[in-house]
Amino acid sequence: MPSPPPAWVQALKPSGPQGSELLQQERAQSNVNVAKLSELLHTKEALQRQQKLLALLQPEKVFDKSQNHSLGRVDRLQRSLAKAKRLQQLSEQHKWSMEELHAANDLIGEPTPYGLHASMFLVTLREQGTPEQHKLFLERAQKYQIIGCYAQTELGHGSNVRGLETTATWNPQDKTFTIHSPTLTASKWWIGSLGRTANHAVVMAQLFIGGKNFGPHPFVVQVRDLQTHQPLENVYVGDIGPKFGYNTMDNGFLLFNNVKVPHVNMLARFSSIDKDTSKYVRPALPSLVYGTLTWVRSNIVLQAGGVLARGVTVATRYCAVRRQFQDRDAEAHAGENQVLNYKMVQVRLLPLLASMYALHFTGRGMMRLYQENQNRMKAASSPGQDSRGAGPEELRAGADLLADLHATSCGLKALASTTAGEGLEVCRRACGGHGYSSYSGIGPWYADYLPTLTWEGDNYMLTQQVARYLLKSARAVLSGKSSGNDTSRILQTYLDRRDKGASFDVLEEDADIVAAFAWRTAHLTFEALKHRDAEKRSWNSLLVDFWRLSTAHSQYLVVKNFYESVSSPELSASLDSETKTLMHQLFRLYALHTLEREAAEFFASGAVTVRQITLTRTTAVMKLLDEIRPHAIRLVDAWAIPDWQLDSSLGRYDGEVYEDLFRRASQENPVNDLVFDPYPWNEALLKNKSPKSKL
Amino acid sequence: MPDFTDRLRPSQPDGPTTLARERERSSVSVNELAQHLLSADGFLERQARVLPVLQREPLFSKEKQQNLSRPERFKLGLARAKLLRRLADKHAWSTVDYKMAEYLVDDVSPYLLQMEMFLTTIREQASEEQRAYWQPLIESWKIYGAYAQTELGHGSNVRGLELEARWDSRTKEFVLHSPTLTASKWWNGSLGRLANHAIVVAQLLLPEPGSPDKFVSHGPHPFIVQVRDMKTHQPLNGVVIGDIGPKYGYITMDNAYMLFENFRIPHSAMLSRYSSVNPDTGIYTKPEQPALVYGSLTYVRANIVHHARLVLARAVTVAVRYTAIRRQFKDRDGDKKGLEMAVLDYPTVQIRIMPLLATTFALHYTGLAMRAVYENTRNEVEQGNFRTLAHMHSMSSGLKSLCTMLAADGVETCRRALGGHGFGGGSGLIQLNNDYLSKPTVEGDNWMITQQVAAYLIKKMTAAAESSNTAAADETDARFKEFVRARSSANSRPAQYNVLENDQAIVKSFEHRATALAYDAYEQRILKKKNWNELLIQLHKLSRAQSQSILVSTFFEALSTDKNLSGSTKTVMWNLYRLFALYTMENEGFESRKVFRCNAVSQADLSCLPARVQDLMARIRPHAVNLVDSWKIPDYLLDSALGRYDGRVYEDLYNRAHRLNPLNKITFNPNYWEEEIVKGSGDNGSTILSKL
Repeated sequence: MPSPPPAWVQALKPSGPQGSELLQQERAQSNVNVAKLSELLHTKEALQRQQKLLALLQPEKVFDKSQNHSLGRVDRLQRSLAKAKRLQQLSEQHKWSMEELHAANDLIGEPTPYGLHASMFLVTLREQGTPEQHKLFLERAQKYQIIGCYAQTELGHGSNVRGLETTATWNPQDKTFTIHSPTLTASKWWIGSLGRTANHAVVMAQLFIGGKNFGPHPFVVQVRDLQTHQPLENVYVGDIGPKFGYNTMDNGFLLFNNVKVPHVNMLARFSSIDKDTSKYVRPALPSLVYGTLTWVRSNIVLQAGGVLARGVTVATRYCAVRRQFQDRDAEAHAGENQVLNYKMVQVRLLPLLASMYALHFTGRGMMRLYQENQNRMKAASSPGQDSRGAGPEELRAGADLLADLHATSCGLKALASTTAGEGLEVCRRACGGHGYSSYSGIGPWYADYLPTLTWEGDNYMLTQQVARYLLKSARAVLSGKSSGNDTSRILQTYLDRRDKGASFDVLEEDADIVAAFAWRTAHLTFEALKHRDAEKRSWNSLLVDFWRLSTAHSQYLVVKNFYESVSSPELSASLDSETKTLMHQLFRLYALHTLEREAAEFFASGAVTVRQITLTRTTAVMKLLDEIRPHAIRLVDAWAIPDWQLDSSLGRYDGEVYEDLFRRASQENPVNDLVFDPYPWNEALLKNKSPKSKL
Repeated sequence: MPDFTDRLRPSQPDGPTTLARERERSSVSVNELAQHLLSADGFLERQARVLPVLQREPLFSKEKQQNLSRPERFKLGLARAKLLRRLADKHAWSTVDYKMAEYLVDDVSPYLLQMEMFLTTIREQASEEQRAYWQPLIESWKIYGAYAQTELGHGSNVRGLELEARWDSRTKEFVLHSPTLTASKWWNGSLGRLANHAIVVAQLLLPEPGSPDKFVSHGPHPFIVQVRDMKTHQPLNGVVIGDIGPKYGYITMDNAYMLFENFRIPHSAMLSRYSSVNPDTGIYTKPEQPALVYGSLTYVRANIVHHARLVLARAVTVAVRYTAIRRQFKDRDGDKKGLEMAVLDYPTVQIRIMPLLATTFALHYTGLAMRAVYENTRNEVEQGNFRTLAHMHSMSSGLKSLCTMLAADGVETCRRALGGHGFGGGSGLIQLNNDYLSKPTVEGDNWMITQQVAAYLIKKMTAAAESSNTAAADETDARFKEFVRARSSANSRPAQYNVLENDQAIVKSFEHRATALAYDAYEQRILKKKNWNELLIQLHKLSRAQSQSILVSTFFEALSTDKNLSGSTKTVMWNLYRLFALYTMENEGFESRKVFRCNAVSQADLSCLPARVQDLMARIRPHAVNLVDSWKIPDYLLDSALGRYDGRVYEDLYNRAHRLNPLNKITFNPNYWEEEIVKGSGDNGSTILSKL
């Protein structure tokens, strides 16, 4: 690394007022109790766990982050594996729980090559394997004696799982399956941890028995030799190459040339083949398979709040430290204005600040619902429902709690990850030029997060499932078979009052805001139903309408969850009245800012008047920005994201933005070790190394 | 090494078959449209001439560059830049030829600043004597330079720069000094490791007449300064320079930091075409026209606007070709035994890609218009006429903000429309996204500079309102005066524009909206004396509306005056114009709807917009592949498995993963209880740690 700068440079300070002073002022002007709010958001245990882990990880050299953005892909991945190994060693040494391991991984801040083993491989074996298979695979996997991944997506097919091309053909003679890739597009693709690390995979393949296709099923397949770690014969496996982000993960490809696996390798908890009769045994409870996906999506919603919080923390702190231009209307010697005082900056950042709280509370609400549902299903887990092989949205809509939750999770996953992903880019741009530096900490984080918008169901594709569910619910309500769940309730309310019209006082009554969002959703649902059922429009021609409908419905759910959370006794009990008021203001900012952006739909549905929309825009939102602005720093402090995790010069807790940017540029930047020959006619590139240095 | 995968083919119908069908069914003539778009300044001929020269050189192969570390990638960038220069000499390339080569190689060249900001500033701001000395040195590459304005603490607010240039009347020198850390120059391209000279912008401090110990600042001024030794290439004494580290993109550019400690430069270093210091008296001569300092920046902004079309066209080319080939799910209402649907036939995909396809053409015509305005104004200024300078400055600021936003967001929208594969290195949109995302904040932050547009329009509206019955000075003035007159006349009913039937009415409705918003802003700021800060959001929207109006009207003008396009192509172009304008109108949210509705467009027409947009997309859909083909972006530039001209998407993705990926040459030891990372290396992890 470059030698330290000369003494006169080291003596320089940023021009005053210093970042540290500005953040102190910011913290002094608000009474929000940061500690209490942190506990409400994360719980005391989680905060203590974070402290403990931080103290353990930060001193370890292998976890150093300073070269992350300067290394080449091959070096980065090797280091990433070294980090993963060390984490696993620590986990064993300190007997970490699952939560602790996850929390430690979050602090490291990048995916590692063990990622998919620790999540999808273990989960799938656990949930879809029989006790026999648990013994055979799960126990060894838990000890990392075998390392696996989950191979579903292919080169030619992602969203459409039924279109997968890899085949698993049952051979009754020797009781085996032949796994085969008939085309190039059948190649497994994007499979995390598979590229260079895993020696096993759960492979989703089309099951063929006696020439008949039974759809995609999971098979455990060994892909690499346990000694040499080389691919087994007739298996072709490798890493798919550099990506936009996620470059510390070895996403892989995988092809099979008629590879045989024994009968026991088909995960058989839900469906199986009778070894002797070659008969297919249908799944007892198809919807259970969807349970995992619903859990994953609820998790994405909850995480989206935290993901966005990183960007908002960086941008808000930096915009409080950054000063640019004098206020045009201020006195001549007032000094430059903090960027965060500009309305143009506030209107970008503060609604995102509100969004991260909104998503967090919504995610919490969904997890709770998921748990309740799991408990209920466990209580009544006897088969007996109709055993169709379809997704739960095809089951009796409205009556089925899982259908409600599944549809909910699809739409919310789409809305939450889009909000977080796009919000991060807004935060980055709000940091002006310095946001473009990797040391801002936002760009790399954004790049690693982006795949979330397309995986576990592409955000646009998913919206169809929500629409399908809402249409079914609407049909049920119209025919008097309403089940009384929340979706049916808002549709019924709309029908009952449609002729009288709505009169929601969105500017004064918080509950009316929620009702207005419900009204708009119901209106769009019946409009879509009219297009589909009465006008017989094709499904395809309605996709844009469905996407808007799903977005509206998900926004309603976020607004509702946020409102319920800020009005809950739990929140009242743990916060002082000032902070509580602020939480209500954040709710209103999120809701009214959304209402303003979607004003055309609200107006068309008759939920609000033009006058109300104008007042929302010109008065209510502006007033909320003014009310929240003084508390902005404490509101991001409450997320308690450690500096080490933020890994950002701009977002440091102490505000020493410029010192840190300069330190990293001059001390941690390997480019400054190179002295170049700048002239085009000299082929030599470097003055301080041999001209033949490797390219 | 051959293996069983060599025999595998993608499932049918494959990419080449699909694209052939797409190309056959469209009546748009690719060559005709390409000529129309790109032949006027010899672009196509030049591209065809330069491309083969580049493709012969192994150094320009893009196959493995995404895997390199920052230092290695930077070295590759410099090696390429050097070779490009040598090729330019060998083939006697003109500056535009050379730029074409840079564009095709697609690295942000570390030599970029030499011919752009460095030379331009000397040409525009140096005195004749200075020009005579410096220009030959720069043009012959004897010295190598950068432009150092932005600092760690100040970007947009140029007046807030902290670096000092203090006049020493004893020695007749300026003393450059960085009083604080935030005074460090920052982000200055080509300076971090390469340049030995720089234009340095610093606060000019002169002694107050009568009290020689007291210094007064005369604002930021440009100085030309040697910063590195010509032999050793080390920074001179009293100068600290370095590269600022890894960024979101621009990996091959050495953006710099730079600090000075009482560093002395001669009197002749101050560029003195417009303002100067008398070496004997220390007295300052002011420029006649202060706005001139904005000259170079306006030039850069005009170029950014003009370039936006090609950036977006690249992304749209990839998106259209790939989504035409990619199939996913069967049509729910269709034949259950049929093929899966092409993703581009989903309206949810069309609504993201088709308006952007239309936007490429809108950006094209506006880019041409912006260039013409820049050239005219420059000629006028050279002749001492500053009349149109403010107009050009406002136009370039507003368009820079809107066009870079459209292109940057558009690239990302296209990337996401590609689904999972859009995230992969084979999409060809990663480096483009990384590099181009600098544009919304560079050369004037997109949100900040819209204030300049608003300030200009408010000034124009104030003038129009004060004397609405006098003759109009220019087009904007005429439009504003007409609006003011109509407003004050009691019996005038606002015109309703039939935007669904009449193409010119669309232009009128956009102009009307921009004018109405300008009047609102004038009313708030001038009549009601509202706080500037409180108005910023409204002012931003005004600038956006004004720039959208320019995009719509130049598109319309271009199609109306064109004589060369054949009937079938012209029909499609008109549909693209309508799609761009009506989609913009639909998406401008409620506020603009209000303006459109109350004054310009009927409620009935507005509610028809979504259906009309969908209908236009369906009409354009069959021509989508031919339309993107017309941009003639070579595969070498696209560097995209998904966007290849021949449609061999899956073969190429596999080739990149399987054969070109250096990671696959390494075998890992996956066991966590063994420190070894690379199997068989016997290395206990020490190699990894030593690199920290």
